[in-house]
Amino acid sequence: MKDIMRVKSSISTDLETLLNQQIKKEALSSSIYLSMASWCDRNGYDNSADYFFKQAEEERMHQLKFYKYVLDMGGMAISPEVTNIKLEYNSFREVFEEALEQEISVTQSIKNIAARCHKEHDYVTLEFLNWFFKEQREEEYKARRAVELFDVIGEEGTGRWQIDKHVGQIVYSEG
Amino acid sequence: MYINKVQYMQKTAIASPIHFEEVFSTTKGSIYQSDSEYCWYVDFAGKLARFDYRNLLKLQKAVYGIDIENILLTSDKSADVEIIFICACDHCYVLSLIEIIALKELLQGAFVMLDLNHIIQDRLFRLAA
Ligand SMILES: [Fe+2]
Ligand SMILES: [Fe+2]
Repeated sequence: MKDIMRVKSSISTDLETLLNQQIKKEALSSSIYLSMASWCDRNGYDNSADYFFKQAEEERMHQLKFYKYVLDMGGMAISPEVTNIKLEYNSFREVFEEALEQEISVTQSIKNIAARCHKEHDYVTLEFLNWFFKEQREEEYKARRAVELFDVIGEEGTGRWQIDKHVGQIVYSEG
Repeated sequence: MYINKVQYMQKTAIASPIHFEEVFSTTKGSIYQSDSEYCWYVDFAGKLARFDYRNLLKLQKAVYGIDIENILLTSDKSADVEIIFICACDHCYVLSLIEIIALKELLQGAFVMLDLNHIIQDRLFRLAA
């Protein structure tokens, strides 16, 4: 009897489900960042708005990377529905704190997929995920550095203006 | 096992016998695999339905997704009938709760056998020295 399941798809249905959840998560990240860009722009934080516009585009790129992988492996990639995106934030700082939380949640979720790969001995998908782990290292670093600006510079006086100015200058370089 | 497809599927005018292999059977139904067609035939609730790879997975998802416990606990007078409709698939099942449980058992058994077949294929042919 032929092993049709394996012939048709290189990934298990469980991994396909997890990868589709990740596709949704990346889409959600993209929408959240877009909303943050809107808030920053509305409140006069131009550099931060630019920063989040760029982040939104990166998340979209991540989404497509997962999307294409699922298809390449013979799976069914599902275009996600994204709803309930927050429109308002209580403060400039809160925007960055939530951005960091979002990145952490993405990293944790990709770790969870990797754990499943280990369980199934799916080293092919694991290798694919490695790109994202490297990416998350940078994403979390940048998000954490941004939040730290609030403590380092302080929000008093022209502090927020200074913070906004520095947000765009955060770069990650592997030491 | 050889079954003349015409006996079962009046609409399909293929008279050539198709080779089926039984994947799993219960007293309520059977699932067969056709290697030449790369598909499965589900003999259940009085009909033989053909499922390709994607549709079999959709059937599995639909059946596993039914909250049997919840149906049992809700004691309203609505009929205990569940309609299983699979997008882009010709078949649809209208099943009672008892039948849903039977179909779930049949599918679970079949997927265990397919997993087992995967392991056997690996051991016998793909990993053999
Ligand atoms: Fe991402
Ligand atoms: Fe990110």
